[in-house]
Amino acid sequence: MANLAIDSIKDRTFDAIVIGSGASGGWAAKEFTEKGLKTLVLERGRDVVHVKDYPTTNLYPYELDHRGEVTYEDKQLNPIANRCYAYKEDTAHFFVKDDEHPYIQEKEFDWIRGYQVGGKTLLWARQTQRWSEYDFEGPARDGFAVDWPIRYDDIAPWYSYVERFVGIAGNRDGVATLPDGEFLPAYPLNAAEDHFREVVSKHYQGRHIISARCAHLSQPQPIHIQQGRVQCQNRTLCQRGCPFGGYFSSNASTIPWAQKTGNLTLRPFSVVHSILYDQESGKATGVRVVDTNTKEEMEFYAQVIFVNASTLNTNLILMNSLSDRFPEGLGNDNGLLGKYVAFHNYTARISAEYHGLSQYKTDGRNPAGGGYIPNFRNVHRQETDFLRGWAAAFGASRPEVRDTGGVGADLKEALQLPRLGDWRVHSHMMAETIPKESNRVWLDTNRRDAWGVPLLHVSIEYADDDWQRRQDYYEQMTEMYEAAGFTNIKTTDDPRRPGNDIHEMGGVRMGHDPKTSLLNKWNQLHGCNNVYVTDGACMTSTATQNPTLTYMALTARAVDHAVAELKKGNL
Amino acid sequence: MNRRGAVRTLLYIAGGTLVLPACFRQSGAPSIALQKLSVSEAEEQLLAELAETLFPTTDTPGGKELLLHLFVLKMVDDCHGPEDQRAFSDGLSAFIQWSHGKLGHSFTLAAPNEQVALVEAIQTRADDDIAKFYAMFKQRAIQGYLNSQYVMTNLVKYELIPGRYNGYFPVEKD
Repeated sequence: MANLAIDSIKDRTFDAIVIGSGASGGWAAKEFTEKGLKTLVLERGRDVVHVKDYPTTNLYPYELDHRGEVTYEDKQLNPIANRCYAYKEDTAHFFVKDDEHPYIQEKEFDWIRGYQVGGKTLLWARQTQRWSEYDFEGPARDGFAVDWPIRYDDIAPWYSYVERFVGIAGNRDGVATLPDGEFLPAYPLNAAEDHFREVVSKHYQGRHIISARCAHLSQPQPIHIQQGRVQCQNRTLCQRGCPFGGYFSSNASTIPWAQKTGNLTLRPFSVVHSILYDQESGKATGVRVVDTNTKEEMEFYAQVIFVNASTLNTNLILMNSLSDRFPEGLGNDNGLLGKYVAFHNYTARISAEYHGLSQYKTDGRNPAGGGYIPNFRNVHRQETDFLRGWAAAFGASRPEVRDTGGVGADLKEALQLPRLGDWRVHSHMMAETIPKESNRVWLDTNRRDAWGVPLLHVSIEYADDDWQRRQDYYEQMTEMYEAAGFTNIKTTDDPRRPGNDIHEMGGVRMGHDPKTSLLNKWNQLHGCNNVYVTDGACMTSTATQNPTLTYMALTARAVDHAVAELKKGNL
Repeated sequence: MNRRGAVRTLLYIAGGTLVLPACFRQSGAPSIALQKLSVSEAEEQLLAELAETLFPTTDTPGGKELLLHLFVLKMVDDCHGPEDQRAFSDGLSAFIQWSHGKLGHSFTLAAPNEQVALVEAIQTRADDDIAKFYAMFKQRAIQGYLNSQYVMTNLVKYELIPGRYNGYFPVEKD
């Protein structure tokens, strides 16, 4: 319905605009609205309302047409999405299909995306670890990328702030490389995992097996109940969306929280084409949006803009924001926008058997997934031929073995009465990668997507040092497995493409110097200080931790800064 | 399992795309809509017998009542590629011929002990069309059995909401 009031500039003007509603966008929305700012959150996908829009959440396996399996046709149509471990019949509706938003792979790259309110917080693995001082100091000490403009002390209080609201299960392990946080009770290690922990701590200085820290409500606090979330029920069906709000998602937590303030305007189906820049004031004035339903272009205005569109889309939006002042993309005075994109190397696994502790098994399910091995390589000094190190997941379980050889009543009985197998232990590597100028993204000059936005070229690949880290992971883990008495140890190269780790980071990195970085220590563009980037695009280096917690903490910190600067009239 | 339960299971298996089965349809067509596989009513009946041979009715429901043959067809039709589907169809035809030769009549009409003997003979066959068909059928039938509503609610219970985790759960001694 045409309405003059709707068309008026006043009605399209807000105090703050947040582009994206995933982990960091949701946090920006919460912080701005709580501080009283009228905030517009733009989400390119559809709305997903907590519980109501989780169509598969309460289905039993037999209620799924293919018992969870993806059809052959779907696999043919969506090879990229299908390579994601979480893409299944019951979760596929939260993933972007391959032809929905095409991109150009200069090198093989799996871009895993969730275009909806909540973004990938519906789909994430919920592993949450703080970075340590060693991680922030890494680039400066080892001479790669650029120096981080912040240190652990700058972000530590914001980690605490975010953790209390999100709800993180974990132990206070006292491990210097993985600082403790504001924890709910941890999900304990099981018998075989505990055994490995004991052996490793006895045999090795500085190596630790800890309970994986994760964003699950093991013991909800009043702040979580106020969000409408209750105790995690150990379903481990998280990627369907959790009706209990047992794990953190924007949908269950930050977005409804922001809505309750009355200050949030959430606009789904809104692809951001570009950020508008005013040469006279030297500020961004708003954003140009394409409504994906009507294809109508419209503009929204605000004093401050947060770009939280997910790493590569944030790069894309900035590169597509052209002006006389910034002909190569907003804030891109040094030509480094889109460069130094990095990721995590997940290409290695190691499994084994353990014949001990047969008096125990597990009962129920562990939402944390098991144990975590913080990086212990090159922490205090350079000790290997490669820079930095790797972290690893570690878990143990006892499979129920079913003899399927029989026919008839024997077969029925064999299936109903499985034999409890020995412990199986498994681990996968999560290695740091070194940001390189050649690992980059850029815009196509001709081809555009359905919304008139240029297609993204992606050219990101592994390097030789990635295989050195992997070799070290195999060697060290094998030695530790052997010390624990594990047998039948098998190392397996996992042929994952970059991107399949879903930890792509960088392209708009933070740094001290406008000549070598795009963002300052508050996540403001050096060249346009009322635009903040606080999603994965801001990352100067990758460390080994799962990055989402750090994005959320950086976001809360940046909003605090932005609001203070607004009050001072500096933005 | 009562008929209503069986019908519900069927609906769960096949979603909204099916025609309910009738015992005397005589239409020659299978009872579920298939996109890729071409299966006659007679072949469907034979597959039902095969499902019942693998999972005979005892004090708990068998393969026919649990509609495992329809589950197999649905999965092979939707979740396997053309190569597997061809192997399934070729193997089914070969099985029909071979079993007829062995028995002198259709597998569908054979006595249960004859059916079991025949199936056990396949299990020792080399990797030919019949063996491939049988392996695919059996694997999917087992999946269908373990993931059927009956088994998941009565025999090997599936917990949607465990609400607990214990990593030191004592193993009961036999």
